[in-house]
Amino acid sequence: MNTPELCTYMTHGAVMPFCKGCGHSNILKKLNDALVKLNLNPHDVCLVTDIGCIGLADALFDKVHTVHTTHGRSTGFATGIAVADKVLASDKLKTIVLIGDGGSMIGLLHIVNAALMNVDVTVIVANNFLFGMTGGQTSSLTPEHFNTVTSPFGSMNPSLDICQIADASKAGFIARKTATDKDLTDVISEAIDFSGFSIVEVLELCTEHGTKRNDLKGNMLLKMAEEEGHKIGVIKNSPVRPEFSKKYETDVNSHKGEIKPLKYINPKFVHNLKKPNGIIISGSAGERVQSTAAMLAEAALMCGLEVTQKNDNPVTQGSGFSLSEVIISPGEINYTGVASADYVIVVSENGLREIKNQDIFNRINDKTIFIVDDSLTIEKKGLNVISLPLRKYCGGDKAAVGAVDYVIRKFEPFQHNAIKLLLEKRFGEYEKIFKEEYYKL
Amino acid sequence: MNTTTKKLALRNGNQMTAEGAIKAGCKFFAGYPITPASGIYKGLIDLLPLNNGIAISSPDEISALAYCVGASMRGVKAMTATSGPGWALMIETVQYAMITETPVVICVVQRLGPCTGGATQGAQGDILITEFASSGGYTIPVLYPTNSKECYELTVEAFNWAEKYRTPVVLLSDKEVGMTTESLDYNKLNATPNANRHVITDHDADYANWKMYGFDSPDMITKFAPVGGKVKVTATGSAHNANGYLKKNDPETLATLKHLEDKIQAHRDEMVLVKEDHEEDADTLVISFGITARTMKDSVIKARTKGRKVSSLTIFSIFPIPEKAILKAAKGCKNIVIAEENINGQYRMLLEPLLKNFNVTGINKLGSMITPDEILERIVQL
Repeated sequence: MNTPELCTYMTHGAVMPFCKGCGHSNILKKLNDALVKLNLNPHDVCLVTDIGCIGLADALFDKVHTVHTTHGRSTGFATGIAVADKVLASDKLKTIVLIGDGGSMIGLLHIVNAALMNVDVTVIVANNFLFGMTGGQTSSLTPEHFNTVTSPFGSMNPSLDICQIADASKAGFIARKTATDKDLTDVISEAIDFSGFSIVEVLELCTEHGTKRNDLKGNMLLKMAEEEGHKIGVIKNSPVRPEFSKKYETDVNSHKGEIKPLKYINPKFVHNLKKPNGIIISGSAGERVQSTAAMLAEAALMCGLEVTQKNDNPVTQGSGFSLSEVIISPGEINYTGVASADYVIVVSENGLREIKNQDIFNRINDKTIFIVDDSLTIEKKGLNVISLPLRKYCGGDKAAVGAVDYVIRKFEPFQHNAIKLLLEKRFGEYEKIFKEEYYKL
Repeated sequence: MNTTTKKLALRNGNQMTAEGAIKAGCKFFAGYPITPASGIYKGLIDLLPLNNGIAISSPDEISALAYCVGASMRGVKAMTATSGPGWALMIETVQYAMITETPVVICVVQRLGPCTGGATQGAQGDILITEFASSGGYTIPVLYPTNSKECYELTVEAFNWAEKYRTPVVLLSDKEVGMTTESLDYNKLNATPNANRHVITDHDADYANWKMYGFDSPDMITKFAPVGGKVKVTATGSAHNANGYLKKNDPETLATLKHLEDKIQAHRDEMVLVKEDHEEDADTLVISFGITARTMKDSVIKARTKGRKVSSLTIFSIFPIPEKAILKAAKGCKNIVIAEENINGQYRMLLEPLLKNFNVTGINKLGSMITPDEILERIVQL
């Protein structure tokens, strides 16, 4: 029976699968003792284990939930578990990651982000300075000059100070201990009890690879860390930052009323189309090409038409060309490109260049109408071009708006009132949106 | 004009994928920005808090999917969204979801590859990398909508499959489906009812015999135990026995691995979503999916006006390959044309052995949508 007094989270009589003298056995016993000390319900504990010898721990803990993950990603999975538990479920779970020094580097960003988020996760880094399970290779936490199978003349690089990384990531609880420290149970239990992210790096010996290649004993670990410039003990215990779910409540959940619900469109105008019309609008990014196309699309929808709007721009969003293809149709639209344009609107140099780049002249017919700003010259002959001083009368930022409005006014694919309504909603009184001369065009 | 029965809006595929996720009961989203999938991320950042869920930002795509899988292990429906470069990073984690039988939905909105490729250019070049993303070649169910309405409906279906079969499911789309805005009538949305994973509790009659990854028959989907519940979870990405413990050279472990594929195969007839436009006495069948399926529709309309007898098949459930439905649609035809926006005819490669008795040709393209005339030309030539 799991009475609190007798509760042990580790399998009774579990045989440690580790080499003789390996620090992992001690770390796991102390973890068990820490859980006993905290008297946690086993169902409210989840051990998330990484790849490597320390990851064998999950088979030893038969009372608590165990999740054995991919290499380095344990803190990532633990973050998902912890966030879902705190925000969406019981809010009772204690999520503890067991990871080695190798895993802590390949998964460093998961540790950094968990600390930044301040999720309620405890990361225990079992640091034996090398990859043990795969044969004793150098890790990023191997101290300089430390001998491993892949650094036979001593490791070239200094070791990463993961506690300092955690500090830079605003972690609230940070400790560096050794596997034989008498107060390791207390420090681990403090870390687990901490509301928010905590990390305990535990220095230890790999007796298979570490001690055979280096003059190293357990009582030398502290000195070794100091030589690397790494602090020892409980480095930080500062519960100042709210745990993630509390921050989420104040910073996001309390604002959710500010998100406006979608408004449906009421088709209150009519159209004159018997067949689909394709409209290509080409101009410069930042000059309302795509938003004008969206207005055209909405106006068409308000007239009971089917609509598609396909946009194109370079990978940057605010420079270069901007091009929209809008199809308005009395019936279903399948292919969303404009195969044979009814109108091609070109309002800037960038736009004209893109019309040529995309070979739009091969996507027209003999009735296609070009609405072109009068500052631009289309060299191709035989086109139906209407040249208008759009940039002059409407401004560069509204040249596309003026051109679309012109098309609806002059050719009436649908009621002009539809686009007028949207323009007024966006820019104010229709007669004052553009210069006076525009309205005489 | 009858306006009373319509609820109209302009929506793109990404927005409707986000709304479909809400309808499906998704409560957790983790995202990392990438064109052309970022609209799903933004959509759920806005929608999830309003629907008792949470959407968070992650520092990379590996984290995004790991967060989702973790959340799903805790018992909530979870989803992420990405494009080809992000999918490449997620491939290890999606296998983790597969081997731990954790339901999760990943939206992959394709763009031009390889590598960073063309962020703002559409493509259908990730068919093979999406499906064959696991060591061992286990089936990942993949759904592929052609418009914003189907993005909504198939997102619901993707969640339902993930929950029913305890598997990762990919909702594949592309820049054109994801980012093209179109008129949509909300009253016409027709999603299947939500399915939820069966959860084991310690007072269930079958609890005594329940095992983390146990099964009695190939089609059996083991009941799910959430982390944090009263039933102890023993999950692992390593080859494991039915109880979830790492084992080597063990028949039970191999059977447990094989069951990951067997359970999908056992249910594949329930995972068929296609739309056949059948023409009596057709000699040609055009097959397509995603954005190109829309092109195909126009091509077939034009071909018929030219007197050609041609049928078409839009495939929504592209994996597992709906073989029976494809053979049924092909029956009586001589020619099969498979149109897809990639250079090598990725789906065609997979269908060719199935269609060895037909004259199979492909229409392929790189960098822009296949046009109606390009498919029409082929139909007329045949």
